[in-house]
Amino acid sequence: MSRRAKIILVGLTIALFTASGLSFAQGRGQQQPSYTPTVTPFDKLPDWSGAWQMMGGTVFDRATQTGQGGAIDAGVREHPPYTPEWEKIYQSHLELRDKSRFPDVFTNCGVPSGFPRTFNLPDPYEFVIRPEETWILAENGPNVFRIYTDGRKHLDDQWETYSGDSVGHWEGDTLVFTTIGVKGYRDKDMILDRTGLVLSDKTRATTRIRKINDNTLEVVMTIEDSKALTKPWVVTKQFRKMPQGTRLYDYGCAENNRNPVDEKSGKTLLLGPDGKPLND
Amino acid sequence: MKSVYKLMFGLAITAFLISVQPASSHHSGAGFNSGKVIELKGTVKEFQFKNPHTWIQVMVDDGNGKVTEWSLEWGSPNSLGRQGYRPSTFPAGAKVTVRLNPMRNGEPAGGFIAARFDDGTTIGRWDEKVSPSAAGPAAP
Repeated sequence: MSRRAKIILVGLTIALFTASGLSFAQGRGQQQPSYTPTVTPFDKLPDWSGAWQMMGGTVFDRATQTGQGGAIDAGVREHPPYTPEWEKIYQSHLELRDKSRFPDVFTNCGVPSGFPRTFNLPDPYEFVIRPEETWILAENGPNVFRIYTDGRKHLDDQWETYSGDSVGHWEGDTLVFTTIGVKGYRDKDMILDRTGLVLSDKTRATTRIRKINDNTLEVVMTIEDSKALTKPWVVTKQFRKMPQGTRLYDYGCAENNRNPVDEKSGKTLLLGPDGKPLND
Repeated sequence: MKSVYKLMFGLAITAFLISVQPASSHHSGAGFNSGKVIELKGTVKEFQFKNPHTWIQVMVDDGNGKVTEWSLEWGSPNSLGRQGYRPSTFPAGAKVTVRLNPMRNGEPAGGFIAARFDDGTTIGRWDEKVSPSAAGPAAP
């Protein structure tokens, strides 16, 4: 075979493989919408390095909290602008919580905290900024929350997941992003806190994160939900910087989970050394 | 000495009531009585330094030859590790006196509060009557 023939053969082979790959991709689903990447240069981005701890307890909206104590304590609740229907759902969860029968699906390990609960977790966080994307890494769970900042848009046909889809941009030192495609309480496996606070699969939010001083990050979420809420609900969470050198570790929730949820009763069990429940 | 053990075990029933905050945990409603503190003396069988929460397994003799394994729930290994605790904090075989919020139904388990070893070293806020903060991070 001549050199020229060899070149033509190699070229044809590459072309055929490329064409077959494209036709497969196009035939099996939607193409990603094209966009021109636009990013803020790294040297213009703020420094959020280090480990951070959420301040306050895990009652999601402490600004509207009534009752004394934490999320698992009887009488404690929040007051989001719920529709009557969703207020009724919340009331039913509160009643179960008061009887220690409102299951936190998180307790069985394996599902993400989802949005917006990902901003309501104990244990340290890291906020990793790159020009094209920011990752929020929560030790608890563990959980990873991604925010794209490279100019891409939400998909027109975004399906619902625990964390949804977040895209945003930088306004000076403030990260601003929108979140859509959150499944909420649709499948009864995602809550905001252990009072039984929930949202629907129509959750949308605009979130602003900035450092308000050297040791404090502030997250302000404006949450809309055309099913569950009558008006936008603004919730602020703050995170305090932990000492320099603080390490984060694995959170293998299933490693030795002696508190699984009993699916029948909704009760959180306490397993003895033989694996049998002690609190039947 | 056995009478001391009897007394200690009796204390597990009668206990002394002290007002405290609930032991925080990975779960809710596990049945610990946060308003009650008991003290037990026993031998460490195992320190389960694993996620999501650590468990101290302590063998307690009632003085009549009956030995019961108690399960004491403590904070996450990550949180405790950051505070300087290690898997070796409770070595197997160590003699220890522990304070805990017991289960409401009398089963041998509870939320760990503090401990004192035979050599006098302590863990948690032993010098205070109750140490809820020793129990690790807040529940999600």
